[in-house]
Amino acid sequence: MLKKHPLVGFALFGVVLFLLSNRVDELRVFQGATVAIYVIAIASIILLTGYSGQVSLGHGALLAIGGYAAALARIHWGAPVWLTFCIAVLAAALGGYLLGLAAARLSGPYLAGTTLALAIGLPSIANQFPLFGGEQGLLYDIGMPPASLGEDFTQYKWYFWISSLAALISIYWLRNVMNSRYGRNWKAVRGNDVAAELAGINVGRNKVLAFTVSAGLAGLAGALLAMTISTVSPGAFPLALSFSLATGAVLSGVTTLGGVMIGAVTLVAIPEIVDTVVHRFETSENIANNLPGLLVSTLLILTVLFVPNGPVEQMRARHEKRAKR
Amino acid sequence: MIQFFNMLLIGIGAGSIYALMAIAMVLVWRSTRVINFAQAGMALLSTYIGFELVQKTGNFWIALPLAMVLGALFSALVEILLIRTLIKHSTSGPVAGIVPIIATLGLLGLIRACIGMIWGNQDIQIQPPLSKVGFKIGEETIALSPMNLLVLLAVLGMVVILGFIFQKTSLGLSLRASAYSPEIAQLAGIRVGAIRTIGWAIAGAAGAAAGLLQTVNGTGAVSPDSLEFSLLLTFGFIAAVIGGLESLPGAVLGAVVLGLVLAVVQIYISGTLVFIVAFALLLLVLLVRPQGFIGVKAGRRA
Repeated sequence: MLKKHPLVGFALFGVVLFLLSNRVDELRVFQGATVAIYVIAIASIILLTGYSGQVSLGHGALLAIGGYAAALARIHWGAPVWLTFCIAVLAAALGGYLLGLAAARLSGPYLAGTTLALAIGLPSIANQFPLFGGEQGLLYDIGMPPASLGEDFTQYKWYFWISSLAALISIYWLRNVMNSRYGRNWKAVRGNDVAAELAGINVGRNKVLAFTVSAGLAGLAGALLAMTISTVSPGAFPLALSFSLATGAVLSGVTTLGGVMIGAVTLVAIPEIVDTVVHRFETSENIANNLPGLLVSTLLILTVLFVPNGPVEQMRARHEKRAKR
Repeated sequence: MIQFFNMLLIGIGAGSIYALMAIAMVLVWRSTRVINFAQAGMALLSTYIGFELVQKTGNFWIALPLAMVLGALFSALVEILLIRTLIKHSTSGPVAGIVPIIATLGLLGLIRACIGMIWGNQDIQIQPPLSKVGFKIGEETIALSPMNLLVLLAVLGMVVILGFIFQKTSLGLSLRASAYSPEIAQLAGIRVGAIRTIGWAIAGAAGAAAGLLQTVNGTGAVSPDSLEFSLLLTFGFIAAVIGGLESLPGAVLGAVVLGLVLAVVQIYISGTLVFIVAFALLLLVLLVRPQGFIGVKAGRRA
């Protein structure tokens, strides 16, 4: 039944999340919100990399565009929260469109390096113009949860609900896009762009479109991220964020959306695991500070060496092989 | 007038160090068709090793060549352990193009984490071996100190030596041949695998020099989180790409152009904008002249 009606599956998963959010403590709820945000951001990279063969090391910059757009709309126009999310998506998509125009003409390492330069360069704009509030950044306050949800409904739970709902809708929508004409075009371009061109697909336009959609999703993730920390500042979107997201995408497997949770959960779980290890063994501060980086990097290298298509795709391939025999 | 002259000096001085990073990028790209995003990490590691050597020997001029040799060894090791495995496991399909990018990115993270574990995330200080007070012409102090001059000369010397190796020796011929066409080079009896390792080793040495010279030329302070290294990482890449990514003179030219443009921005507009201007310059060159300043169109197919 779930195979036939994915919407039912998504709704069921949503209900499970809702029930869970009432059972676990505050910290876990907050981590859940972070996982949901990472799911959106990683899905946006998977869309770009896995379905159009391009890799972006600068998705943090697109998240930043989304976050700043949402905060500015909130501060200057007093826009309602749902509208600021829409504005974040549109602003980031516009940025992604412009970047995509350039990106469509770049291949592999050029695009990676260019987006990397963007991720390093963009925060400096925030420092340059007073509109963006400099190093302190801007406040982005979505307000208290509605009173109708009850007295003891916490802020974090509110964040979790919003992020999870956004993630569920995004993934469901993305899944449908992938099975649509556009998704098939992207897959064709990924497989062989010359053949795709001969089949009448406009390769350049499709790459730009993939970039735009991906950027829009990243913008949504950026606004949600800004929501959970109540501010947007250059420091909230460091290069490390871009790298983590790329890592998450590789761990999830860049060719399918199926594994998107794996990367998101890993990114949130690693600091947690490190914390436990550090407390158990009472390691020095240097080791404690750098253990997460070490684990993530090692995992990244091992993944790319041994399961470059990601664990989900690997299992599927193995399954198919066995079925054939 | 004097401001303009100083701007030229600052631009060329900064550009000379980017040139070393750009050369390292180009060498690696030519030998294995990989953009080494870990280059800055490797340079950082060599800088830390240089720092230890300065502490032990007390002399910067002994530490620099030693750090370069160790940097070369480390780089060769990376090629043998990581890049060869990567090429052996190489898959076809959508991820094939991004595997080296992700692997070198992972290496960058790994190196930074290891440095943080060993030396901590605080700044370390390397004393500049020469004075950093500018020379005087008449009353005016110009933006060129003995330290700057020495860095310039050192970079120039390395570029000349590299140019000589590439153009005049049989090793250089092998390096160029395996970059041009690995199969044909192999048929001609060149051990392409070994040549690739040597390309990486030279890149490692150039990166080590860039890291150490950048550090003593700048504030002398360095840490795994320092700005200097996001600087080396991006500017080396940008210089290499706008120079054409295939040619060493192109890399040097790209680096000097980048250095000058950034000096103009820094002096006449604002120091905080350099990164975004560098990005804009990269985008502009890629859109207008995607083969770079020096480079042929066919060479751009990655």
